[in-house]
Amino acid sequence: MSSAESTPDLSPVSPPKSSSRGRWRSIGVLAVLALAILALLSQGLLHSLNYFETVDQVLAKRASLGTEVIRLEGVVKPGTITRTSSGASFVVTGSGDHQVYVVAHGSPPQLFQANIPVVVVGHFTTATSLTFDGTQILVKHTASYIAAHPARVKAPNGSVR
Amino acid sequence: MIRTALLVAGKDLRIELRSRVLLWQVVPFGVMALLLCGLALGPAHAGNSPAGPGLFYLVTLLVTLLMINRSQAVERTSGTRSSVATLGLDPAGVFLGKALALAVELWVTGLVLLAGAVLVLHTALHGALVALPSIAVTLGALAAAGTLYGALTAGGDGSATLLPVLALPAFAPLLIAGERSFSAALHGGALWEWWVIAAVALVAYLAVGILLYGVLEES
Amino acid sequence: MTKQLFPRLLGPVTLVLLALTAWLGLWVTPRDAVQGNLVRLVYVHPAVAWVALYVSFGTATIASVLYLWKRTRSIVMDRVAHCAMEVSVVFIVLTLITGSIWGRPTWGVWWAWDARLTSTAILGVLALGYLALRRANDDQALRARRSAVFAILAAINVPIIHFSVDWWKTLHQGATVFTANRTLLIHGLMAWTLLVSFLGFTLLFFWLLRARYRLEVSRERALSVSLDEALTLRRREGAF
Repeated sequence: MSSAESTPDLSPVSPPKSSSRGRWRSIGVLAVLALAILALLSQGLLHSLNYFETVDQVLAKRASLGTEVIRLEGVVKPGTITRTSSGASFVVTGSGDHQVYVVAHGSPPQLFQANIPVVVVGHFTTATSLTFDGTQILVKHTASYIAAHPARVKAPNGSVR
Repeated sequence: MIRTALLVAGKDLRIELRSRVLLWQVVPFGVMALLLCGLALGPAHAGNSPAGPGLFYLVTLLVTLLMINRSQAVERTSGTRSSVATLGLDPAGVFLGKALALAVELWVTGLVLLAGAVLVLHTALHGALVALPSIAVTLGALAAAGTLYGALTAGGDGSATLLPVLALPAFAPLLIAGERSFSAALHGGALWEWWVIAAVALVAYLAVGILLYGVLEES
Repeated sequence: MTKQLFPRLLGPVTLVLLALTAWLGLWVTPRDAVQGNLVRLVYVHPAVAWVALYVSFGTATIASVLYLWKRTRSIVMDRVAHCAMEVSVVFIVLTLITGSIWGRPTWGVWWAWDARLTSTAILGVLALGYLALRRANDDQALRARRSAVFAILAAINVPIIHFSVDWWKTLHQGATVFTANRTLLIHGLMAWTLLVSFLGFTLLFFWLLRARYRLEVSRERALSVSLDEALTLRRREGAF
């Protein structure tokens, strides 16, 4: 800015060649931008940004997983929770009869209970076993809120996911 | 636009070739940063670490920040701005040219760093070669984004410290895309998925730059 | 008179709504079947996040677009963008803090490398970067242009945060109100309290924005006045 001020008598810069050309270019560029975003959206969207893999997904590729550290998601099966001295053992289920036996170390979170979805960080004990050695349990609660004493509030359809 | 771009890119690259800042300052910095990564991992984990691709891109990001500042400093030397203004160069062309020059510099530095990663961090050579196309595209996207953010921060107080704050959040998705496709090249996995994402980012940043570079430079 | 009425009522109405939220949220609404008393955070965290991401960041983005568009370019737009972004920083930080407080007892961790959490943190850094960018330039027109461009670039992150829970599997729960199949996952008094909290925090944003805007105008005036005074003094010195 200061250098421009100190330069004496700048002859006026010729006006832009044609504004319509600039406008067409802008429209073209915006179209390319929109196409790029659509291409991204059609790509099935970056699946490896997922925070966890479900029991079904994990069992489907069990052979290639070995003892790699993963985050396994499933619903805690009622009646399978056993509190141990170092943590808890329980069974997580996916759809159908897919299930994994988890032996977790460290104290589970406050909300940990039967029928709640959890994410367990850990690995399978051996390359072929279905016993999962968990180092951390995270409770993944759902987005629905239901009153503890339903009589006090009216749920319009009563059906909650 | 294309002619202006080639002109500007040629100018920037010639300046770089003659001043040898890239060779004597930026590349040694990158190699040193790579060595530091090895030291930080510790001797037991430095070799063939799963963190290899991530560290390669982390070092590349640091090097990119240096080179963006350098690319903008070239533009701020006395007389350059006034002559660009009086020549009436198309700002979109200037943007493309500077991004192209930066990309060429990044590709050269990236090759050196990749060789360094293979030597020091024991990244598998075959995997590194498979990852080359994705690295080229990711570095291209970094160059386009970097040129845009460089112009955003240039000239003000403390532009060298401001640039990382503004640019690194924008670089984060590129780091993820680059790292994942590099890892996929090493260990198998969705190589193309991430390659496409980096390519889309490249196109998007080029488009935004063509549209908005003029707004940043007008005075 | 009516022009003055709305701004004057803004503060009291905001306070009433927030007090109502606190009363309903803490005493009247029932405990949740799964979360127990922790559910009461649903009357704070989502509303704060709504203001942070959509209301304040959205205001800043729209004002920036209007500034860059030559027909609506004015210093008012630049000021609105600046003030809204400053309020946005406060709300993003509050979002992260309240989320963290909620995450610790429910998930078991203060922080998770989940797509929504990470992208929100990045948005916070972007908003701080915007303020840093404004401080770095003295020239008003240049500063306004650059920060407007940066705000638009940063806004790309907002839809990513919004859809992150649908696109990817995240630890963070999905939508409760704006669900894909348009079914509300919260009912009765809990839903109404949620609505009141959203209204209250949205009005709080506009109240804060208005106060910040007036502060900015006075600050600019004070700057120009002090410059004039300094010039007059200097001229008087020269007279002797």
